[in-house]
Formats: sequence, C-alpha cells, structure tokens
Amino acid sequence: MMSLPFLLFACGLGAAWLRQRVVAMGFWVAGMVVMLVLFRIHASSVVNIAL
Amino acid sequence: MTSDLARLLNALGLVLVSAVLALALADELWFGDLPCPLCVLQRAAFVAAGFGLALNLVFGPKPSHYAVTILGAAAGAAIAIRQIVLHIVPGTGSYGDPILGLHFYTWSFMIFALMIIGSAVMLLDDRQFARAEPISTRLKSLPLLALTLFTVLTIAVMASTIALCGAGLCPDSPERYLLFQ
Repeated sequence: MMSLPFLLFACGLGAAWLRQRVVAMGFWVAGMVVMLVLFRIHASSVVNIAL
Repeated sequence: MTSDLARLLNALGLVLVSAVLALALADELWFGDLPCPLCVLQRAAFVAAGFGLALNLVFGPKPSHYAVTILGAAAGAAIAIRQIVLHIVPGTGSYGDPILGLHFYTWSFMIFALMIIGSAVMLLDDRQFARAEPISTRLKSLPLLALTLFTVLTIAVMASTIALCGAGLCPDSPERYLLFQ
C-alpha cells in the first residue's frame, strides 16, 4: 500500500511522456490523496511537546 | 525570462530532486539504512513536487505546474515537520545517521522549503507563460536527461518500497525487506 503513491505518480509520468496532460494531472491528484491518507494513518499518535 | 530559460531552470531543479532520490536510494542500498514510513512518504512527496517540474519540461511552463510543485513540497514539508517534532525533544532519539550534522528529515524539510520558495520566485516572471515562440514538441538534451532520470528513479524508489513493505504498510523500524523474508 505504501508503494501506491509511487505507482500513481509513475503512471502520471508515463502519461506525461505520452503527452496526455489531463491524465497526468489526474494521476498526480490521486497520488497526492493516497499519500496524504497514508500520512494521516502514520501520524495518529499525539506528540507530547509544548509549542 | 523566456520559456526556454524557464525549461532549463526546471530541468536543473528536476536533476536536483533526482539527486535527492538517488542519495536516499544509495543510503538504503549501500549503507543498509532502511527508510521508516515517514521517510518513504517524504520520498513520495519529492516525486509529487518534482512532478510539476517534469510537467513544465514536457508541456512548457504553466502556473498550474508550479502549483503542483508547491503543493507536493508543502505536503512533504508537513511530513518532514512531523518527523522533526517526533525527535525534537532531547533524549527522544533520532532516525538514521546524520549527514553534515543534520538528519535526513531536517535536510528534507529545508529542501521542500527551498522548492516552495523557488517555485514562487519562478511564478513572479509572467513572460515565460507568453507563447510568442513556437512550441517545440521535442525535448532538448538536458530536459530529456532530467525527465528520464526522474522517471527511472521514481520507478526505482517504487520497487524499493514494494520490496521493503510488500503490499501493506511499512513497519515503524524496518530491519529487513519484507518481500524477501
């Protein structure tokens, strides 16, 4: 699952190589969403610091 | 600034992002410093931020491509800050060995910040977006090299992540590649 953002970004780069801009942007958005969801999963604990 | 100059600067930026990914891979493969989940996500954010530079090379500079870089770098900076905060209190340990006195995640945050600032500076010049010159569909040598390097490294980091974490989430402190167990 952690490799999914890379897969989506790689697909987006493939679309860019094929000059499909909208498709490339779509893969980038999907990759960003997956990356942020994974970040949310891994940043669930509270850090005990005073800011 | 002409569109060609903007492409050249974007190509140099993409080479630098590729160098960061290559350094991270080299540290993992040669020194056995396996990345933590937040480290993997920072690598993904470098790819996300570099994606905008790659779009600038292929389709010509556009504000939306710089937005892609800024959003990717902002996400990466947030992930790096989370990791810095985890280890900011003395005695809470660290992850990995420092390079030039700073840990990877601190360097990572500074590079993401530089990417945001660099993209904002590039956005100041509107002349690169004017299409006075004919749009060439062929990439010149440096942009082509940068794009090829970035694509290859993206696939290499993806392969490394698959080997490290398999199909699931990565362990907090990985000691070996899950795929080869």
